[in-house]
Amino acid sequence: MEAQATKTTKPKKSVLKSFLLIFKWMGKFWPLLVISFGFLVIVSYTRTLIPLFTQHIVDYVLEFNLEEGSRLPDFIFRLVDHGNALNKLLLAAVGIILVDFVRSISIFFRRSVTAVFSERVSYDLRNNLYKKLQNLSYGFHSHSETGDLIQRCTTDVETYKNFISDQIIEVMRLVLLVGFSIYQMVKLNLNMTLISLIITPILLTIAIVFFKKVEKKFTTIEENESKMTTHVQENVSGARVVKAFANEKYEIEKFEGLNRKFTDSDYELTKQHAVFWSTTDFICFAQFCVIAVVGVIYATKGTISLGIYSAFLAFSGNIIWPMRQLGRIVGDFSKATVSVGRLNEIIEQKDEYGDTHGTLKPVISGNIAFDHVNFKFPDSTYHQLEDISFDVKKGETVAIIGKTGSGKSSLINLLVKLLDFQEGHIYFDDVDIKDIEKHHLRKNVGIILQEPFLFSKTVEENIKISDRNLDSDRVAEVAKIAKVHEDIVGFEKGYKTLVGERGVTLSGGQKQRVAIARMLLKPKPILVFDDSLSAVDTETDLQIRKALKKEWKESTVLIITHRITTAKEADRILVLDHGKIAESGTHDQLLAQNGLYKNIWDIQSRIDFQIEDGE
Amino acid sequence: MNEDMFEEESFTSQKLDWNVWKKIFSFMKPLKKFVIGAVLSMSALAGTDVIYPLIARFAIDDIINPNLEAGTQDLSKIPMFIGIYLVFMVVQATLVYMFILFAGKIQAELAYNIRKKAFRHLQELPFSYYDRTRVGWIMARMTSDSRNLSDILSWGLIDLTWGLFMMILLVVVMFLVNWQLALLTIAIVPILMIISTFFRKYILKSYRSIRKVNSKITGAYNEGITGAITTKTLVLEEPNYHDFDLLTSDMRRQSIRAAVFQGLYFPTVIFLISIATAVIYYAGGRMVINNDYISIGTLILFTGYVWQFFDPVNNIATIFARFQQAQASAERIVSLIETKADIEDSEEVIEKYGTLFDYKRENFEPLNGDIVFKNVSFKYHVGEKVLSDFNLHVKAGQSIALVGHTGAGKTTIVNLICRFYEPTEGQILIDGVDYRERSMGWLHSNLGYVLQTPHLFSGTVMDNIKYGKIGSTNEEAIAAAKAVEAHEFIMKFEKGYETECGEGGSRLSVGQKQLISFARAILADPKILVLDEATSSVDTETERAVQTAISKILKGRTSFIVAHRLSTIVSSDRILVLEQGNVIEEGTHRELIAKNGHYYKLYTNQYTEEMLELSKQ
Repeated sequence: MEAQATKTTKPKKSVLKSFLLIFKWMGKFWPLLVISFGFLVIVSYTRTLIPLFTQHIVDYVLEFNLEEGSRLPDFIFRLVDHGNALNKLLLAAVGIILVDFVRSISIFFRRSVTAVFSERVSYDLRNNLYKKLQNLSYGFHSHSETGDLIQRCTTDVETYKNFISDQIIEVMRLVLLVGFSIYQMVKLNLNMTLISLIITPILLTIAIVFFKKVEKKFTTIEENESKMTTHVQENVSGARVVKAFANEKYEIEKFEGLNRKFTDSDYELTKQHAVFWSTTDFICFAQFCVIAVVGVIYATKGTISLGIYSAFLAFSGNIIWPMRQLGRIVGDFSKATVSVGRLNEIIEQKDEYGDTHGTLKPVISGNIAFDHVNFKFPDSTYHQLEDISFDVKKGETVAIIGKTGSGKSSLINLLVKLLDFQEGHIYFDDVDIKDIEKHHLRKNVGIILQEPFLFSKTVEENIKISDRNLDSDRVAEVAKIAKVHEDIVGFEKGYKTLVGERGVTLSGGQKQRVAIARMLLKPKPILVFDDSLSAVDTETDLQIRKALKKEWKESTVLIITHRITTAKEADRILVLDHGKIAESGTHDQLLAQNGLYKNIWDIQSRIDFQIEDGE
Repeated sequence: MNEDMFEEESFTSQKLDWNVWKKIFSFMKPLKKFVIGAVLSMSALAGTDVIYPLIARFAIDDIINPNLEAGTQDLSKIPMFIGIYLVFMVVQATLVYMFILFAGKIQAELAYNIRKKAFRHLQELPFSYYDRTRVGWIMARMTSDSRNLSDILSWGLIDLTWGLFMMILLVVVMFLVNWQLALLTIAIVPILMIISTFFRKYILKSYRSIRKVNSKITGAYNEGITGAITTKTLVLEEPNYHDFDLLTSDMRRQSIRAAVFQGLYFPTVIFLISIATAVIYYAGGRMVINNDYISIGTLILFTGYVWQFFDPVNNIATIFARFQQAQASAERIVSLIETKADIEDSEEVIEKYGTLFDYKRENFEPLNGDIVFKNVSFKYHVGEKVLSDFNLHVKAGQSIALVGHTGAGKTTIVNLICRFYEPTEGQILIDGVDYRERSMGWLHSNLGYVLQTPHLFSGTVMDNIKYGKIGSTNEEAIAAAKAVEAHEFIMKFEKGYETECGEGGSRLSVGQKQLISFARAILADPKILVLDEATSSVDTETERAVQTAISKILKGRTSFIVAHRLSTIVSSDRILVLEQGNVIEEGTHRELIAKNGHYYKLYTNQYTEEMLELSKQ
């Protein structure tokens, strides 16, 4: 029993929309679905021929009712009606084999075509989702839950795929089978046909209603299950707290309760299933019973022949079981529409810079100008950055300091178009940032994040991530500049060490230095450190910056830092406070201003004072 | 969310390992009566399935009786025919109802038992286990593995019983009715068996391989999402997409190939059965033509029976493949349940102080809080010694700040004090007695612990505070909150103490969570307090509250603080500067600054941010 399912329930209106989307996403592959359908027609038709063979053999070949004759379609009858009785019998047997051969082959082709169809469609869907996720804005990524997104990209895609490969086909198959069977039955005897169908509408209705209802029950079970698993999850990840407070007994009691509740609700559903399947079995057999009894009476009266009676028994099996099946699938449809809705929520998200996507690719030399820039987050009421204006000349090093939340990181994100600002301008050598193509900009502005992300590849692959063809000498070279070479060589597998969940966990400082190394592969006119040496000790920090200065004389460097010693060495220092530039100038100028910066500097001195005091 | 999606499935050998299954079957013992019920109802159902076609034969041969002229038949048998049919219907429906209930019961209760046992065992396992084992791994055992196992052992059992009985009964009935046709029909069974087993094996193999690619795709989505910003800043969209496309293409290729191959299975079977049907028509028809070997009803009966062989054969072929598949789940669950706890109370201790789940509080000695590390050496499961020959004496009521770089041994000392780990060599004495001579319950009910990243459980603020002392009153909880200055901000919430802490307490700020975990700790009124201070900065107001709270809760308790904040360090009684498991400097703040050594260096390097803060005030 699968318990994985989706949680959001959607209003009626979007069900229709989801249905349209189901077909829209099939894209150019829909002809494959039509071909599948074609094979299905053959499969279903040939299946309804077999009961006619029974009739043919019983009534005609074995001569139980010669007046009735054979009801096989003419084109087949002519082929199998030769010679004496034994001969005819042999031909009929061969006929059965041939018809089933055609049916088998068609089933095979139908399945293969469906597989190609559904796999191609879901391949496209997966790739589109991935592309989409990469194109979504910084805002989207900082607000969304990774687990939920992954769930959608995997489970929901799977549900969609099952829908287009199994459910749609199954519905078509059942409808065709029922249709052809009725067609053949009507040709044999109209009254018997009506009697054979008398209870089936009830059956179909019961099945649809039941599976719709069960769907709701599922939600309760899922809720109970998720409460239980949440408890385990919290217990395990909070094992320290549980143990430190000696609450093991309490935890077990609580878990027992949740475990019991989930188990009971699960069993509750089983009970309903038991009622459904036994009741519908009863109804199905009641229908068979009616057919059998009426058939027997007709047959003894001579209204129908023995062959036709047998054929009817076979045909009714083609109708009664599929009806229940059909009800089940139709009842399950909502699962697919919910999944499609959830996927569409991702697909309909706006790409970053959908409208203001610049196209220019100017040469960026390293001059930056902020001109009265105001910025606020879309859902925020206050400005994160207010009236920011400053110039940075090519080759200059500018340090930005300020406390957490003062807007330092936002400022950096504006610079590489990760965030979009509302008012003012940012210029790179007189070109407005809004006109510059974002990828071009990002290739020119190297940014190193405070918490860099490393991919689960080897260290070497991580360093040469933006140029995979690089030789390992160059990799070692940049690793040396970033002062991470020694660390890497110290690993058992050196540069071939795997990073991440399946490999070695690097320390924060090591990660930061690898991130610096990978940024150093190609010279860039602008380099930004977003507090990216925070986990590296001061000495190493200094060494890295010195090495950089030597290598990258030409580049403009922006450094966000908490370390005053780092800031001190910059050509210029900006002090951010509550989204505004509170002070700016060189170290000496700022000291002379006797403001915030001076204050910080004084505290530095106070340590010295304390030392003197202590001695 | 379930992390096991990222987990590469580990698959075991093809052979069924009876040792593992025996252990799993032991979980079924309490469910014996349901198992018997399921087996009985299922075999009875197989019986009705075999009998049903015989009813049709009865109608044809005994009522319609084609050898008689139409209208001359004996209609008096029709009421009996209807009667038989009705009985059949009732029996059939009842059996279906019963077998679903039995199997459902087995499934639900088995999963329940497995989870119960596993969770209980998890509580007994020492902290080191949680250090080594990923949460996702444990979660997968508790969810998907227990589900897989209970599925196969309930519905699988049903399929197996039905399949076996069906085959046996079919063979018996066919031989009783007509042995020549029976032989002809049974001839296809071995072929069906071989084909089914062959395809099942292939299907299982391709399923595994596809699952592997699938988990790689999930991993790639995970990286694509969590690394999105890095991808943007490095302009890696194209190469990443290319890598992803390699995976999805592989998935597509493999899936199509598997589906096409699998697509051969069903048609092959149909074709085979069709040949058998044709043979029966021909052979049986000949008998009819040559007169009185068999009746026409028997001929039709056999053409029906041929088809009835397929399901049982398919079921049995599937069941073995499923057992193989479920074995991996079984092994993992057994491995969880059988993990030995390497830190346990000795039997004598349990005798005196009770188990983890059943304390004998009356035997608990009062705890003062005098702690001695006596020649303590320690190493984790893997790696080098973290502490060697470590000595320390902390008097009751003293507060100790532990300072040093990552990996210096601060956390290890804390882990040892909490007895999350035990010394590899040497002793830790509490009030002069080796703590292994007292129970863990004794230590832990006198211990308060505040984590660096405060862990709140889902539930209300009130629930979380009360977690410090299960069974305490609202008043006590509120008093604790007031003591640590948490009351004010809690009351500012719309629902006050009834505010939901949400997933991991995400709606609260880090500082607020910290204050709540202080309240939780103080409610327990511990003699020993361990505080792993948060490194992340919080807003000024909360920060101030945290500082006041810390100084308050330290009073009258022996405390160990893994300190990150200047003010906390400065106000502690004693500072230990650690490096590679050794105390390299110790003393008060003033003494250490005066030394102008390691502490001074650490101090000047690390606290610039804080100075910026201070400078604002």
